[in-house]
Amino acid sequence: MGSLDSDRGIPDRPAIVLDDVSKRYRGGGGVDGVTLDVWPGEVFGFLGPNGAGKTTTIRLLLDLIRPDRGTITVLGLDTRRDSVAARRRIGYLPGELALYDRMTARELLTHFAYLRGGPTWEEIGRLASQFSLELDRPIRELSKGNRQKVGLVQALMGRPDVLVLDEPTSGLDPLVQHQVHRAIRDVAADGRTVFLSSHVLPEVAQVADRVGLIRDGRVIAVERVQDLRGHAAHIVDARFAAPLADDAFGDLPGVDGRRVAGDTVHLEVTGPLAPVVRELGRFDVVDLSVREPDLEELFLAFYEGADATA
Amino acid sequence: MRRREVGSAHLHSVFERTLHEQRRALVGWSLGMVALAATMLALYPTVHGNEQFSKLIDSYPEAFKSFFGVADYTSGPGYLRAEVFSFMAPLLLVILAVLWGSDLTAGEEERGTIDVLMANPVSRRRIVAEKWAALAVGVAVVAASLGVVIAVAGPAVSLHVGWGPLWASVVASGILALLLGSLALALGAATGRRGMARGVTAMVAVAAYLLSSLAGLVSWLRPVRWLSPWYHALGVDPMATGFRPFHLAVLVLLVAACAVAALVAFDHRDLGT
Repeated sequence: MGSLDSDRGIPDRPAIVLDDVSKRYRGGGGVDGVTLDVWPGEVFGFLGPNGAGKTTTIRLLLDLIRPDRGTITVLGLDTRRDSVAARRRIGYLPGELALYDRMTARELLTHFAYLRGGPTWEEIGRLASQFSLELDRPIRELSKGNRQKVGLVQALMGRPDVLVLDEPTSGLDPLVQHQVHRAIRDVAADGRTVFLSSHVLPEVAQVADRVGLIRDGRVIAVERVQDLRGHAAHIVDARFAAPLADDAFGDLPGVDGRRVAGDTVHLEVTGPLAPVVRELGRFDVVDLSVREPDLEELFLAFYEGADATA
Repeated sequence: MRRREVGSAHLHSVFERTLHEQRRALVGWSLGMVALAATMLALYPTVHGNEQFSKLIDSYPEAFKSFFGVADYTSGPGYLRAEVFSFMAPLLLVILAVLWGSDLTAGEEERGTIDVLMANPVSRRRIVAEKWAALAVGVAVVAASLGVVIAVAGPAVSLHVGWGPLWASVVASGILALLLGSLALALGAATGRRGMARGVTAMVAVAAYLLSSLAGLVSWLRPVRWLSPWYHALGVDPMATGFRPFHLAVLVLLVAACAVAALVAFDHRDLGT
């Protein structure tokens, strides 16, 4: 688990521990019995559809809301009892980012630097230019992407030991997304910890070491990203000139899931593609698509995989 | 650790930011107070020493005079009591304090900025305490601007009022406003809902005003008028009697109770949900 292969050796304790944490809302939603460890030097991706409980978990981490049951520690600090000390070590980017709209980015970042008693303006200025952030316009005049940059800079400044990012790249163009991903990797390479949520797999696959899947408030799997992707590396959909036999594509190596319906076939391929391509060549292919699975298919593949081994 | 000042912004703390955000509003409210005082002072020469006016006022029903604080209308203090301190000035201060107090924490929750604020290592209690302090300073500044104008410009229109009665009235109005603002803060801190905090506090303010004002007319209300903070502030007629330590102490205790309630309530809640 974690960056066991890092030069620093095996960290002696997790940076973030959620122990059987539950939080239910009267109107529904929340999380149920979430247990997670995130290790120093690790980027942990928290993946799930909207409304699954990602933001609830993150707001519990920040002590904005309190669990009905369970405890959370950050760097050994109880987030309830030692709330201020824990938050001193955390950089946080909220999911639905709201800022003080009438301030300029410079004013807001200055204010937060004072509240933290830490980051120098040199550091803030460096981050701001890294993200080419406009500092002197009122935040209300900034585009959504530029506001997000303000949120990222305030989260990163002061080099927090734990970085908690709720959907960090939403609203950012691909170039800036790339910058953000690099900044996240830099933080982890530094031996610090990143906990980020996302509802898009490619983002998590790109930056995270491990990923926790959450659905309906429950963490249903925690996997290394490469293992998770192993469950279904490619989705192959093909349509043919004539209906297929029920057992077509039945005995191919590396095919995890198979669905034949009339003249179409849907394959989830975990192994090499070559045998599938050879088999396809035996038929009169009218239409063909090969792509990486989306989140939903990944879930399905994961469940099916779990069922198969059960 | 090294810090560097950026521009002229005074943003070292939540207290400073809260005042900084409201700086234009506070200037506006202070100018409003100045305008109210200036208007009333400008009208004073037409009633001052005007015997017809005295007779007219004397002919009003006692109930009317009691309710509107009209007594000795043609003298400086009597005029100020009736026109400024019986209703208008405290009303404006209360509106300022309640709008602002209800917004202090509940506004941050409703706008969603509480998340990014709580990303800083600042305790919830400190947030409430600093915001309350900003409210107290703001209300004091606006109230003081009223007193200063009357003290400075009054003599120019032959309106003479003693230091004690004037500032006792200003202080009483200010503390009354701070009390209702603190109540709105506490309700907002306990619920995260600005509208609710404003509505309930407005009802309390109206009830307090009516109880204090009607107690002079309705005999059965007299024994319970002590329930009204408006009575302890202005019902005891500071314009005639000056500072009333006991009644001010009651108000200060109530302010402290609301502030503590806000601290405790905000500390034990799920924020921004």
